[in-house]
Amino acid sequence: MKFIELVKKFFMIDLLKGLFVTFSHQNPADLVTEQYPQERPVISDRFRGQPRLLKDAAGRTLCTACGSCALACPEKLIKIGSLRDPETKKKVLTSFDYDLSRCMFCGLCEEACPTHSLRLSSEYELALYTREGMELDLDKLENGIPRKEYER
Amino acid sequence: MNSILGYLHSNVTPGEAGNLFWVAVYVLLVFAGVSFGVMFMNWFERKVMAHMQVRVGPMRVGPHGLLQPIADALKLIIKEDLMPANADKIVFWFAPVCVVMTAFCSFIVVPFGRTHAITDMNIGVLFMLGVSSLGVLGVIMAGWASNSHYPLMGSLRSGAQMVSYEVAMCMTVVSAVMMTSMATGTGTMSMIGIVQAQLQQHTWFAFSFFPVGFTALGVFAIAMVAETNRAPFDLPEAESELVAGFLTEYSGFRWSLFFLAEYTGMMAVSSIATTLWLGGWLRPFPNWLGGRNWDLAFSLVPGLTFLLLASFCFFFYNRMPRIRAMRANAIGLAAFGAVIAIVGIVLLLPGVRERIQDIYWFTLKVGFFMYLYVWGRTTFPRYRFDQLMSIGWKVLFPISLAVVILTALIGVRQELFALVWR
Repeated sequence: MKFIELVKKFFMIDLLKGLFVTFSHQNPADLVTEQYPQERPVISDRFRGQPRLLKDAAGRTLCTACGSCALACPEKLIKIGSLRDPETKKKVLTSFDYDLSRCMFCGLCEEACPTHSLRLSSEYELALYTREGMELDLDKLENGIPRKEYER
Repeated sequence: MNSILGYLHSNVTPGEAGNLFWVAVYVLLVFAGVSFGVMFMNWFERKVMAHMQVRVGPMRVGPHGLLQPIADALKLIIKEDLMPANADKIVFWFAPVCVVMTAFCSFIVVPFGRTHAITDMNIGVLFMLGVSSLGVLGVIMAGWASNSHYPLMGSLRSGAQMVSYEVAMCMTVVSAVMMTSMATGTGTMSMIGIVQAQLQQHTWFAFSFFPVGFTALGVFAIAMVAETNRAPFDLPEAESELVAGFLTEYSGFRWSLFFLAEYTGMMAVSSIATTLWLGGWLRPFPNWLGGRNWDLAFSLVPGLTFLLLASFCFFFYNRMPRIRAMRANAIGLAAFGAVIAIVGIVLLLPGVRERIQDIYWFTLKVGFFMYLYVWGRTTFPRYRFDQLMSIGWKVLFPISLAVVILTALIGVRQELFALVWR
């Protein structure tokens, strides 16, 4: 047994094995790097990203202004403004403020929503130049954050 | 004028012909070629290392990062040139110059072809080893002049390393020089003479006296990695464990001179290895596959290689995503391919291909060693300093001594047998 190890050492078998391993990994098919702006990762549906307020097919908001999400939020970052419609006696949503800068994307608001209106979408590019842009209002929640497209 | 044009029909190097004009031209060409080689190596090393580590490497500056070395060089040049306040100014200034000078000087005798060397010296190998070992002086100077603990310790470390591996290196060179005397009875140390001896003996010295020549090459290959301070023996610049050695106080342009010298030195020792053991500029099987047809076939190889590379470029140009952000890169890649294709077509011209193919084969063999450098760097972890020393003195040195003795014994085997059987 010792003799075999000596022979192995003499012919540097271990070193040659290592060389073979590194050589065989050069195949470009092995590459796992994504060229990010050109290639985009596939995001799972369960990913919790930018919050969105969904609308129904007719374009009306699904939110009933019940305030469950604001109650569920551990950070208390959701502020809902509503008026009672005197004719239908129902609450009508007037404002929805979502402070993304404090959000930890726990998804409790999403779970609390009875109409599945509030949803943390799979949109993940949330970097901004200023803190002010992180205060999402009703328009940004419904229509998404307007994004500047750079050519280079 | 007559002498200038007349040289083109001669069959010797400009140094032998005593033609100063062509010497100057060759010096400039070699300088430009080696500098270009350094830039290429910078890109090539990062690319190959990246692919071995399943990464992509530089991709953004130019198509597939081809312009990355230029961007890096620019960055280094415009960096602030720092010099420690208590440094020895003159020595600090001279150390990188010394390292670069010695690294480039050794290319004086490197034969890229029978006529493609600056000059032929009858002590060519000795000159190369001597000049390249002067680089140690620059390293010691850099460490001393920095006037700081870590560079001094680092320079002592790398000085000891470079000096001790030189012993094993020179022993194996001796064995190769002894082999040159096999056919003619007198050996030669001239780089051109060594290659011609391999042509006469119908074998590369790596394969003569089978395990002996090959072992010599192996020992030389390991010693040259240590000699040029490259991984796995790159203790002088082991940033992760030791401070960057003698390079600690250097930055910007001066540091880039060390970098240039390191890669030039790599190429220089690779050329020694190529010349001594892999037949220098000789194409594969110059005797066995001799004759006009084979000569023609082999002389077409350089041009065809370039055309193949160009077709690769066009292939990847086709595969590039057609989006605006990639347009400049795509055009650049296509232009690069076009340049390579033009070079390939020029290399196919009858007048050019006979004279150029020597350079091609030589460069290919040197490139093999450069690939080996990168390959080893990716694969092997760094040695500790005492391990490094024990490999140098306890393993490589005895092996190289044995190689020298065996070469001598096998070389005079007939005389020995005659003595014994008399």
